[in-house]
Amino acid sequence: MNKRPHISPPKWADRFLELYCKEQFLEEIQGDVHELFEARINKQPPVLAKAKFIWDVLRFFKWSNLKKSKRLNSNIITMTRNNFKVAARVLWKQKTNTALNIGSIAIGMACFILISLYVRQELSFDKFHEKGDRIYRTWAKEDYGEGQQFFYTSSPLPLAGALEANIPEVEATVRVDYNRFLVGEGENRINELVSIVSPNFFDVFTFNLNKGNAAKPLGRQDVVLSEEYAQKYFGSDDAVGKELVLQIGDEQLSYQVSAVMENMPRNTGFQADMIVSNEDMERFYSPRALQAWFNIAPETFVLLKENASVESVEAKLPGMIRTVLADEVQEGEYVLGLQPLTDIHLNTDFPAAAMPVGNPNYVYVLATIGLLVLIMACMNYTTLSTGQSIKRAKEVGIRKVVGAQKKGLVWQYLSESLLITAFAALTGFGLAYLLLPTFNQLAGTQIAIPVDYSNVILFLGIVLTVGILTGLYPAFVLSNLKLLSVLKGAQSSKGAGFFRKSLMVFQLLLTIFLISGSMVMRSQLNFLQNSDLGYEREAMVYVNLYSKPDASGLIDRINSGFENAEILKSKLQTYPDIKSIGTANHMFGTSGWTGLGFSDKQGQFRQFSLLITDAYYNSSFGIELVAGRDFDPELEIDKTESIIINEAAAAYFFNTESPLGKQLPGNDFGTHRIVGVVKDFNFQSLHTEVSPLIITQNARPMVQGASDFSINSSPIPKVFFKYTGNSLLGVQSLLEETWAGTFPNEELSFSFIDERLRLMYENESRVNQIAGIATIISILIASFGLLGLTIMVVNNKIKEIGIRKVLGAPTFTILSMLLRQFSQQLILAFIISIPITWYLMNQWLSDFAYRVDVGVMVFLISGVLSFSIMFLVISYHAVRASRSNPIKALRVE
Amino acid sequence: MKGTYLGEFEELVLLTVGALYPEAYGVAVMDEIKNETGRSVNISAIHSALRRLDEKGFVKSEMGGATNERGGRRKRYFELTSFGKKALDDAQSLRMKLYNRIPDISFGQN
Repeated sequence: MNKRPHISPPKWADRFLELYCKEQFLEEIQGDVHELFEARINKQPPVLAKAKFIWDVLRFFKWSNLKKSKRLNSNIITMTRNNFKVAARVLWKQKTNTALNIGSIAIGMACFILISLYVRQELSFDKFHEKGDRIYRTWAKEDYGEGQQFFYTSSPLPLAGALEANIPEVEATVRVDYNRFLVGEGENRINELVSIVSPNFFDVFTFNLNKGNAAKPLGRQDVVLSEEYAQKYFGSDDAVGKELVLQIGDEQLSYQVSAVMENMPRNTGFQADMIVSNEDMERFYSPRALQAWFNIAPETFVLLKENASVESVEAKLPGMIRTVLADEVQEGEYVLGLQPLTDIHLNTDFPAAAMPVGNPNYVYVLATIGLLVLIMACMNYTTLSTGQSIKRAKEVGIRKVVGAQKKGLVWQYLSESLLITAFAALTGFGLAYLLLPTFNQLAGTQIAIPVDYSNVILFLGIVLTVGILTGLYPAFVLSNLKLLSVLKGAQSSKGAGFFRKSLMVFQLLLTIFLISGSMVMRSQLNFLQNSDLGYEREAMVYVNLYSKPDASGLIDRINSGFENAEILKSKLQTYPDIKSIGTANHMFGTSGWTGLGFSDKQGQFRQFSLLITDAYYNSSFGIELVAGRDFDPELEIDKTESIIINEAAAAYFFNTESPLGKQLPGNDFGTHRIVGVVKDFNFQSLHTEVSPLIITQNARPMVQGASDFSINSSPIPKVFFKYTGNSLLGVQSLLEETWAGTFPNEELSFSFIDERLRLMYENESRVNQIAGIATIISILIASFGLLGLTIMVVNNKIKEIGIRKVLGAPTFTILSMLLRQFSQQLILAFIISIPITWYLMNQWLSDFAYRVDVGVMVFLISGVLSFSIMFLVISYHAVRASRSNPIKALRVE
Repeated sequence: MKGTYLGEFEELVLLTVGALYPEAYGVAVMDEIKNETGRSVNISAIHSALRRLDEKGFVKSEMGGATNERGGRRKRYFELTSFGKKALDDAQSLRMKLYNRIPDISFGQN
């Protein structure tokens, strides 16, 4: 056998062994692994031998072999270890107390985590764009005096070009618009919401393109799909290069999937799944609209150059308006401005365009509730451990006698609270994780728990803060006890008792406030959903129609929708389960009905909403007439000239005069005549008062007379009817059947009006749900605290109870003695809660034009509720105590 | 007595230490176990077991003299203590006692 050259084991592994291994074991261990290596190197390939050597070194990396640093052996470390050991023993000894503490902090923590996730999501809207700090959305205000004011955040089409040409600081502009197109071919076309954006959309906004042409994804015939939509249309996210047909206007255009993007995150205002480029503008907009400055369509976003200031750009905007709109507006009538992208989601000062705007107040209210619940949970610990101080006094005394410093004692008690919080936080985190789906379902949110660095650090930060804050007061109370009085057996100081009682009052106050607050919210929501809106809405169903593909111009499209409606109506009429059929171009539960504006004969600018219907509208919805008559299906004149107005419009246009037979006070309206007045019915949201409404079968005369026009929801007619069958599935199958035979090329979409109305108050009901959850949790936490206190009081008074029983006190007397301990605090908390609740809930209610009163009932119910909960909690333990055999309490001394 | 329980692997190591006397050190014990039982055990496991046995007082150890192999590093030699020997005796006699009580039935051979 050839003598191989000497091969030594890997140096680094050897050094690693020397690094970690204890001096006393190093020689034998190193010797053994080297011996093994030498034995192996002669029989095995060197690579294998080396690998085995490394493996052996790693296997020796055990706790018992490790060097223990001398530096770690300092007094602080030893004392900390000892503190935690003592803390763990104390906590283990008082199991009930510990369980109550951990339980309440854990529940509070879970609630806090969930709510803060929701709040974080709301606050983080569109904050992830790399160039986000330089992106702005344009807004415009037109003011022509006499009430003719318009304020909007969507913008005219020529604006983007004008900005690029006139303002040097503008690096890029992006127009974002949405429209519905039929997507697909043949039978299975789907009506999809398509985003129409400038080709540089993906350069300005940060959305990840996973597959395909990421450099230039938006060519003229390109479409970008989200992963979800790639899946929907092609069954996999491997859709790049495939073809998709969109019907735009009356053309069938073939698009190619150029890229697939990651599904948009929840916290962005763009919710796009299908994106096409607007490079070929004429395809999407009429030539007139492309030039029009007073026709608003897309949202225009502006990316400023780096280091450019918004102020300097905004200062140049009036100059730009003078250049491009010199002939059309007077100075100051048309004002442009920029709103930061990150500001859009929670700023209600600007009107909403396509990007959704949330109510910042709700976010802050929820954040506060989450924090309060956590604070309540912490208070439990503080009150309970302060209460325990008498028990621990002897321990403190002995520690002081053998020389403990105050600082050391504080640290000892802080380690107890830290230990508790750490356990509670872990439990709470687990709870939050488990409850997340339930929370999402109840609150109608879609949040997830993201695990990243910042969250972990945040979490640790919360644990530390909560641990120290909760433990600080009890620690100082305990360490401040006077040595002599402690050893003589005196009671705890008066100050601590007062502090404990105030904490308890505060805690009960919060609970009562949350109970009454969520009751007020609930009753307001019930009111919103059940109040008489002035029309019949039970079991009312509506079906969206489509205009014929060849219809151009809004009025033609609406009219062709009405023609389709007649076909569908005649088929639906044959079903016995369908009653009260009619057609209208707007439905309840959608905001943004057609609004028209005109200048009346005195030059005053007037606005009203317009609803186009068939002759059966009022009768089908059971809308009451207060004067005149309803449309008559037999009368030709009703189809062309007659209009019906609501009371609000009657008061607005004619004051107290009778409007019957009259015309609207404008100059340019076509022939029309008011034939009836209907009682106000609430066609918008209950946030606002009923505004003037005109109902007509023929839109032309009205549109002719209007100088201003706005629509924010689809004006294409819908067929509605009352469904009297029993099963909801029945509607679906019935409609599917009829629809397939009538409009095989279009997608069926229908809704229940009830359901749509509920969705209108989604924000409110979400807050209400979350507040409701928080209330239940706060009741739980408060009950935990109360239970802990009862146990403590009973333990302190065990002798008193024993003696009383021996002398013949019945259970009830003892129970009421214990109740008296807490009822003062509860009554105080209740009284304080009344003005606070009253004030805060009235603030909230003032958001609604129609609202309930914060009545006496709310306070009565919440008072009774909180008192009975307290009674139950206290009795749970007190009854047991008062029934126990007094001998047990008295024989030990 | 807490801590003096003899596990199966420990017993094996202890037996090997006894059998190898006076040449029982880590690698030797490992090789012997491999040869006798076919069990391949990592050297670190042997060290752990030996150290445990040492703590329980079943073996004692001392460093040997300098060697020529393994880079001149010394070996730690182990030998049985009388307590260790007694533990092995006990285990053996317990085993025999129970073994002898197995009734002399044939196991399905007729």
